Amino acid sequence: MLDILAYPFVQRALVSGVIVGIVCALLGVFVVIRKMSFFGDAISHSAFTGVALGFLLGINPSLSALGFAILVAAGMVYLQNKGNLSADTTIGIFFSGSAALGLLIIALLRGYRTDLFQYLLGDILSISDRDLMISVVMGIVVVGVMSRIMRPLLQITFNRDMAKVAGVPVERYEYLLMFLLAATVAVSLKIVGIILVTALLIVPAAAAKNISANFRQMVAWSVIFGVSSSILGLAASYWLDTSSGPTIVLTSILIFCITLAARK
Amino acid sequence: MSIIEVEDLNVRIGSHHILQHVSFTVEKGAVTAIIGPNGSGKTTLVKVITGLQSFDTGTVKLFGTPVKELGKLHRKLGYVPQKVDFDRSVPLTVEELLNLNLLEKTGRREKIAASLDEIGAGHLMDRKLGVLSGGEFQRVLIALSLIQDPEILILDEPSAGIDVEGEKVFYDMIEQLAESRGMTVLLVSHDVGVVYRYADGVLCLNQKLVCSGTPHEALSQETVRELYGQGASLYDHVHRH
Repeated sequence: MLDILAYPFVQRALVSGVIVGIVCALLGVFVVIRKMSFFGDAISHSAFTGVALGFLLGINPSLSALGFAILVAAGMVYLQNKGNLSADTTIGIFFSGSAALGLLIIALLRGYRTDLFQYLLGDILSISDRDLMISVVMGIVVVGVMSRIMRPLLQITFNRDMAKVAGVPVERYEYLLMFLLAATVAVSLKIVGIILVTALLIVPAAAAKNISANFRQMVAWSVIFGVSSSILGLAASYWLDTSSGPTIVLTSILIFCITLAARK
Repeated sequence: MSIIEVEDLNVRIGSHHILQHVSFTVEKGAVTAIIGPNGSGKTTLVKVITGLQSFDTGTVKLFGTPVKELGKLHRKLGYVPQKVDFDRSVPLTVEELLNLNLLEKTGRREKIAASLDEIGAGHLMDRKLGVLSGGEFQRVLIALSLIQDPEILILDEPSAGIDVEGEKVFYDMIEQLAESRGMTVLLVSHDVGVVYRYADGVLCLNQKLVCSGTPHEALSQETVRELYGQGASLYDHVHRH
């Protein structure tokens, strides 16, 4: 089995899987503790609409996914802060709007677009050198930024008003978190696909929450579980001859079940 | 010297007046209580003073500076809101929570331990927030707001969720802290008994300022009726020991 590691496409798959595992795990901690799972789902679907838009307009789909996801994320945060609607209503509006727009755009595209469906389902084994480079840059940016903003984010998560009175620029950090989320989803699209990227944001962090005695441990375990899901999931998909994206997610869910049993 | 200055404050939501022509000052080191019925604007007043809510007209100054221009002076302000809606299943310990408000790079654990000891909660350092009782959680919130050594501490109904016995212990602690630190305390309370026992001054609020001054000066039968309605009155409660 180790012979397969000599193939460049497998090496790219492993590296990108580890990067996605790390960044999704780091952001996923805040997705879980801030109860933003629905938000994460909305970002994923808006990113897919961005991909479709990219195909329609002849722009790099990853870039158009990033741009559209950031736009939708900013819109949701803005409305939540300023509007009279509850968070889930705001997200529901953007979620369904993005999904509807995405379907409209797909109908405008001529022919059967297998490349579009790669973004829907993901294909970590077809990652190019360019895709890998983008993930590496994104990984460095996300890890670097998160290491600096984790403390104010936790202050805001604990209590928004207390953080504001303590002098934390709350809205600035909330927008920053949304942008990082949008960027991570856009990068992870090709690897695990739209349908499953939300799972990578939620499941490793949820598993970590089951067995952590403090927040530092939750972050550490989340990253460990995120990376393990990618590596073990890839290995399992090779053994079992299954699709890599779903196998990675199912591996993370298996880890979650083990931690749930351990908690009891 | 007045550390809090509010002049002709007006807050409206649409055509509904929340606060009308409210003016008062709070001296440095004083413990001042804000009392009033539900919907009288107490929490709104607290949110305006802390800069959490905007206002239509008037001026609000802390440390002689308009509240919107406080900048780094924010760190001299401690605040405990009425409700903290935090998911207690999140594995966050008391130490990690208090660490969030510390700017120091060294000696953090010692400073946190000292802050917790000051409020009689030193034993809670490594506990997760989720296992704390209501009273313990309130103490930790006080420690969180005190850890950056504020000069003004603002508490919005701090004894909500604490039993009667715990309430006395809690307010005794607040009184002692205010005295030892020379801190100005502004607290919102429903309990006139608390006001009489612990406050140097009282602000009676029912959209407008109905009365202000020391509890004995400000709280008369007339002002209590004006605040809480014609059915309300003060009575002396004598304890037999």
